[in-house]
Amino acid sequence: MSAVAQNQDNFSQIRTSREMGGITVLVKNLVKRFPGVTALDNVKFELRKGEIHALLGENGAGKTTFVKILYGIYVPDSGDVIVDGKKVTFTSPIDAIRHGISLVSQIPQIIGSLTIAENIILGLEKYGLMTKVRKIEDYIREESKEVGIRVDPNTEVWKLSYTQKQLVELLRAVILGAKVLMLDEAITFLPIREKRKFYKFMKKFVSQGGSVILITHKIPEALEAADRITVLRRGKYVGTIEAKNATIDTVRRMMFGERSAEITYERLPLSTPEDKVMLEVKDLWVMGDYGAFAVKGVKLQVRAGEIVGIAGVAGNGQLELIQAVMGLRKVRKGQVLLRTNGGLKDVTNKGTGVIRKIGVGYIPDEPLKFGVSMENNIEENLAMLPLIAQGFIKWSQMRDLAERLIKEFKVITPSSKTPVKLLSGGNLMKVLVGRELSVARKLLVAYNPTRALDEVTAIAVRKTIKNKVLKDRIAVLMVSEDLDEIFQVSDTIAVMNAGKIVGVFPAEKADRDQVEKLMVM
Amino acid sequence: MRLVVTRRIKPLRFGGIIIPLLSIIIGIVIASIALLVLARVPPTLVYTIIAQSFVSPQLLRPFVLLTILGVALIISFSAAVWNIGAEGQIIWGMIAAGYIGLFVAAHSMYIKPSELPTYENMPGVMILDRSPIHPVVSVLNVSPAVGGALMILAALVFGAIWAFIAGTLRAVLEIDEVASTLIMNYIAYYSFNYLVTGPMRGLSVQARNFGRTDALHEALRFQRLPIAGTTVTWQEVATMVVVFVLAWVLLKYTTYGLRLRILGSNPNALRAAGVSVRKYIIAALTISGAIAGVVGALIFAANLFALNKIDNVVSPPTQSMGYTAILVSWLAMLDLKGIPISAYIVAGLMQTGNSLQAALGSVSTAGAMISGAAITHVLVGFVLLTYTVLRVFTEYSIKVVRGGR
Repeated sequence: MSAVAQNQDNFSQIRTSREMGGITVLVKNLVKRFPGVTALDNVKFELRKGEIHALLGENGAGKTTFVKILYGIYVPDSGDVIVDGKKVTFTSPIDAIRHGISLVSQIPQIIGSLTIAENIILGLEKYGLMTKVRKIEDYIREESKEVGIRVDPNTEVWKLSYTQKQLVELLRAVILGAKVLMLDEAITFLPIREKRKFYKFMKKFVSQGGSVILITHKIPEALEAADRITVLRRGKYVGTIEAKNATIDTVRRMMFGERSAEITYERLPLSTPEDKVMLEVKDLWVMGDYGAFAVKGVKLQVRAGEIVGIAGVAGNGQLELIQAVMGLRKVRKGQVLLRTNGGLKDVTNKGTGVIRKIGVGYIPDEPLKFGVSMENNIEENLAMLPLIAQGFIKWSQMRDLAERLIKEFKVITPSSKTPVKLLSGGNLMKVLVGRELSVARKLLVAYNPTRALDEVTAIAVRKTIKNKVLKDRIAVLMVSEDLDEIFQVSDTIAVMNAGKIVGVFPAEKADRDQVEKLMVM
Repeated sequence: MRLVVTRRIKPLRFGGIIIPLLSIIIGIVIASIALLVLARVPPTLVYTIIAQSFVSPQLLRPFVLLTILGVALIISFSAAVWNIGAEGQIIWGMIAAGYIGLFVAAHSMYIKPSELPTYENMPGVMILDRSPIHPVVSVLNVSPAVGGALMILAALVFGAIWAFIAGTLRAVLEIDEVASTLIMNYIAYYSFNYLVTGPMRGLSVQARNFGRTDALHEALRFQRLPIAGTTVTWQEVATMVVVFVLAWVLLKYTTYGLRLRILGSNPNALRAAGVSVRKYIIAALTISGAIAGVVGALIFAANLFALNKIDNVVSPPTQSMGYTAILVSWLAMLDLKGIPISAYIVAGLMQTGNSLQAALGSVSTAGAMISGAAITHVLVGFVLLTYTVLRVFTEYSIKVVRGGR
């Protein structure tokens, strides 16, 4: 507790010493309420010129709301936003961009069917209709060299990897004249080596007088990249500290308070898999989006009471493998077999409906796009699953189920009738995980099941999955880009690289170094 | 100090009712000013006629039919499947009902002129043509209740089939349903013309000369409600109630309805949930088409009785209600509850246009020649304009803030 008070003192000290670096953005007494929740309650924040400032907080702490206010998507109920000494009220992202504030979010906001150059031109006021395309391309090439990103402006965006897309977003922001870059969980899911590219870029950007707000729920990321760290909790300002004086433990305590004691990365108890195979994948070949095989002859077994964790750098065929297992992507060769009450059944290319009916839960890779319907409320998002409701819907039943999930997963929501678009990313994920666990009678297929969840919640979700496996003896096939997660819950660890399984280890014998080597081999 | 427009987190309460009502009031005021300036129509006359029109019993029938069609369209629109083909589906409903009514439930035949007196008072027989050479009678084959039910059922099936084709094109070949349903309207119009002047052409002299079917047997015609000034039949009213209740149950209390709505906002989530998106696209159009088809039977058996060749596709026997219904469902903001309200408003405006034209014909001081259609367009146009502006308030709120840009 004293640490927090001390940090608040620090903050006032910093404010009085303005001369050490001008203040670019100053936020005072910011309040934003939504029906049933106060998302931001008297929040203050200070961004100096030339600093990387991390904004940390657990799910629902108000980070995203804060960013959306600075970016003009929400208008605050009260409070001041001062940019370069002038009070501003942004009512659209255009206002923010004109003031040099740009946002790069978790989901790339660039248009897939256009080239990089075309995407960048869209926001560029410097060039008009009649400018030769060549000239713009040269300009982009030059600028990208300047900021240290190598791109070919003629590449269509859909061909890029996630990292490249995010880099293009950054490039666009810089070309549009950003002085303040906000990265909203933009690099949270990148492997550490890719992250370092961004760190390098950020350091260069701030050395040239820019400032960065790094929004994240990963403490190590903040400690490594940021100069200062501000923590929010439940919509309230907790404190600001210098990153060099901070440790994981102090930041955790600021983020979670008492609950930080629940954080552990110890391996959860291993379950004892039975011999009964629940999911078998035989010599599977699946095409990726770009006309080449993304999955090349994968062989895999998941037994009852077993969690198989697939480790790998994103984009090595894990996604396509999962989609093929779920019947969402065509299998070109090979077989997917699932255990039904009548033994193993071939479900290759049988369609998602058939596969789900056997009792398969699915946590997809882009939860907002494939997991939930944003316009509908929690109850409706439960009833949409054929495994939960068929024909006439008994809404009272749905309400009971929704309320059970809300209680079990500590979902922060005004009610079970709240449209899920009003939930924070983490709470939305909890609803999805809860729903899918409730229908996984035989198998759970998951892709980054704790993405967007803070440490305390992520660990709680992992424990819930583990308990379900121990209790109901279901099988789990889990892909995660987070090695901590893989090591914490898996009974068996498989490493996927370039469309192939390149190593399978029982959890107790798996060696982290070896796994990492296989991932980038 | 300046005004700030922000997106509402919660939509305006009762917006679905307040916005259309406000739109009509403001729209009519502006329209009356426009009519005064353009055609020197006194506003008092406009208001009087509008007031009369909105309480006129004549309103009842268009209101009933537009409500049914509005519901039909909302089922497909809420799934983001854009059924612009209600016209074609109504036409096929008419053809199917016509076939049942004229060839199955009853049939017409030639008799000898000498037999006329014999048939004159025979139960179940109606004399269609007293021609001295080839008299024609219509003979009832089934009870009127069965005949009516058969007509509605056949219309439902044919409307559904017509929409099913477009649904399949969209679901399997990804052919845009906006284009296909619209084009199929014209195919329906011309098929209708071929059928009524060819295979379904009647036996009576008029039918043979003008290229139309015979008239429907009197016993099979739907019965009017005993309200003076309206031509609405109880079958139409009953259909409206049944369709509305069924649609309500479908959309609110079944997984089919829920998934149709989710199809409108996020088909990917539906796919991942294990729901066949294709089936739902086809279902959305088929259900929509089935209901529109029923309207075809209603128009035929309650009002037309015989199917005439369409001389001009601009004025089909549907009175273009299949298109007007698009207006109705958007005015209801794609909310089922709003459908009767917006159907009433649209029916009222149409009625006003017609009455104003009639009134202007007799009031010489009004001066300028202005057609009923033009008046209707001015009225509907201003109401929609106001509506478009006001609709913004359901999604955005406007606040005054301090501080510069």
